[in-house]
Amino acid sequence: MTPPALRYDGVSFTYPDADRPALDAVDATIDDGSFALVVGPTGAGKSTFLRAANGLVPHFTGGVFSGRVHVDGRDTLASAPRKLAGVVAFVPQDPAASFVLDRVEDELAYGMENLGVDPAHMRRRVEEMLDLLDLAELRERSVRTLSGGERQRVAIAAAMAAGPRILVLDEPTSQLDPQGAEHVMAALQRLVHDHAMTVVLAEHRLERVAGWVDVAFGVDEGRVFTGDPAAVIHRLAVGPPVARLGRLVGWDPVPLTVRDARTAARAHANPVANGHASLGQTSGEVIVAANALEAKHAQRRVLRAIDLQLRQGEIVALMGRNGAGKTTLLRTLAGVHDVARGSVIVDGHAPQPGVDVALCPQESDAVLFSETVEDEVRATLAARGNAHGAVSPWLERLGIVALARQHPRDLSAGQRLLVATAAIAATGAPVLFLDEPTRGLDPDSKEHLARFLRSHTADGGVVMFATHDVELAAAVATRAVMLAGGEIIADGSPADVLGDSHVFAPQMTRVFGPGWLTPEQVAEALT
Amino acid sequence: MTSTGVASQTRRLGFHPGAWICWSTCAGIVAFVTTDPVYLLLLWAVAWFVYASHRSAGATAASFRIFVLAGVLALIVRVALVFLGTVNAANVAFAAREGLRLATILVVFGTFNAVTDPFAVVRLAPRRFHEPALAAALALSIAPRTVASVQTVREAQRLRGINVSPLRSLPALAVPVLERGMEDALTLAESMDARGHGGGRRTRYRPQPFTPAAATIAASAALAAGTFLSASFGGWAELHPASLARPEADPLLLVAIAVLAVPGMLKGERA
Repeated sequence: MTPPALRYDGVSFTYPDADRPALDAVDATIDDGSFALVVGPTGAGKSTFLRAANGLVPHFTGGVFSGRVHVDGRDTLASAPRKLAGVVAFVPQDPAASFVLDRVEDELAYGMENLGVDPAHMRRRVEEMLDLLDLAELRERSVRTLSGGERQRVAIAAAMAAGPRILVLDEPTSQLDPQGAEHVMAALQRLVHDHAMTVVLAEHRLERVAGWVDVAFGVDEGRVFTGDPAAVIHRLAVGPPVARLGRLVGWDPVPLTVRDARTAARAHANPVANGHASLGQTSGEVIVAANALEAKHAQRRVLRAIDLQLRQGEIVALMGRNGAGKTTLLRTLAGVHDVARGSVIVDGHAPQPGVDVALCPQESDAVLFSETVEDEVRATLAARGNAHGAVSPWLERLGIVALARQHPRDLSAGQRLLVATAAIAATGAPVLFLDEPTRGLDPDSKEHLARFLRSHTADGGVVMFATHDVELAAAVATRAVMLAGGEIIADGSPADVLGDSHVFAPQMTRVFGPGWLTPEQVAEALT
Repeated sequence: MTSTGVASQTRRLGFHPGAWICWSTCAGIVAFVTTDPVYLLLLWAVAWFVYASHRSAGATAASFRIFVLAGVLALIVRVALVFLGTVNAANVAFAAREGLRLATILVVFGTFNAVTDPFAVVRLAPRRFHEPALAAALALSIAPRTVASVQTVREAQRLRGINVSPLRSLPALAVPVLERGMEDALTLAESMDARGHGGGRRTRYRPQPFTPAAATIAASAALAAGTFLSASFGGWAELHPASLARPEADPLLLVAIAVLAVPGMLKGERA
């Protein structure tokens, strides 16, 4: 009998200098050939759980480790990660940071070179991987020039090429647009079905993965429990919007996918003829106005003929594929990217970054430099000449009061993102831009963020955020703007803009038709 | 997201890294044995020519500029040091020549950096030297990334109203830059380990052949360095003109420096 792909026996682990364990007496078995999801709140220990699979924890981290992890029957304590490279492959959260060589093809071959694979076999294997993940067109490209989705597929192919039995991925879709995420999930499923691989992945955006996986591991404060995905998701009280709806209206079983939800909706009451989501145009004053705006990046035009007005009280979701120009648009409106043609007016004059416009960049860690979370916010207040301003309201509004005295470096990626958001928002600028504000955020933190955005606009501000997270857009946006190839191709109410798209439609729209955006809205109509 | 380059979407061309190691060592030797500004400035021109014809698309290409800047800085510092002691024209001229020599070596190194991929060089290292070579490559690849991240961090701070000037608010700039640099290095090291680096016997995927063109580069560079070394030891040409003398260039040595431009005239080969 073959050993299970992965077995954790009473694993406890505490990072150096941490006061509580990141993993606490974890027992888990992942069977050969399963497609497993690891789910849990931000900072619960998901990454640690994954990194223990090939011994990066504790070989690379130090700290106190007890118990045993066996991967394909081999003890991770007895073998260094490099000795396990032929058995288990790991794809970290930011694949770009893990690339060793410059060219796609070389990157794919790198792991095999290390394992001493015969060159002729290596050639064949690289070709197979290029086909399997649909990368043949990119083989000569520099990894630095690829889009987020392409990078992720290259990282998976590179991990796979060495022929491991087990593939471990940390949030593989967090940087991807919905279409890119779909491609990656389909590729992973093919590995499980056709190539008998075991795939383990952590993910927050359950709407993207719940339908694909066949077993789930819930992680909560270092404890791990396992079961059928529906049961685990139910127990953590998280889930894609269809599951939230199921819980709200008491469907049993709680649906996990759009298809389940359609079946359930047919069996129970079929709700309503049409959505009523039209929120009406806000009629606040125009604060930000772009006229015939054009911007370039490395001599390429990335924005063309942008006409856009943002009004007080609006929460605008800026959507579009990877590389559509969303980041450049935010940066140009915030006054930190050069305008090639046209104009940007904020409150009657050119935008003043940090004064009337604030932007939380995608690489939000670039903001953080203080010793504690509260100092981080205080630094912003001081820079705005308000050194004695109150810090706690900002922390409260983002739900991070409990972290006030911690060092930002010790927080999870999602928590750091919230800290950066607080530090940026504390400028008090009425115009707030956020670039991918939900990367790595669990549903609870997302809820805090949503509340924060609403309160910002209620105070007379305006918010625009670039996102791939259609469910966030559906839940909080009052308006959606769709970019493609640097042009605005749709601008209107989220119900119209998102409902009209195959790729960007939120789950409620997929189940109940245009006009329905959030589970709360549907639940209200159903009861 | 990081910027996308168009140039790199075409296929990469280049030479066997060994040819580049030979070229830069020889050019470095030439710069080392002379303080004559005529030769040194010519060498700058040659280095730039080679850089312009063969720079790679990766992040390391940006490092050429950094090394030129470092060179200029070294020159300025060397001259400035004179003003701590006896200041006269001869002293200043001497310091300027010394500084220029150091700057030239840095520029040659910058060229090497810009035309090769540090990790491609690591793969050449014999197994025994693998670890130190790897550490060197990591260091080389982190430096340019750190410079890029200064830009990102400055902008991020500006967007929250903190104007980062290097003197006034150093922590706001330095802490995130260093932390990101460290983090990148750690992630990379982890990823290399997780992918079996240093686990045992290695093989090569499509090794770049040492072609006649690569051999030409190595041979011509060796010839140039040999000429300068023979002048240095044989004393048949003046390599260190008296500080205030008008430099006189030896035609044979001028030809030797021109020979160092050979890689710039050869077309790169499919890697």
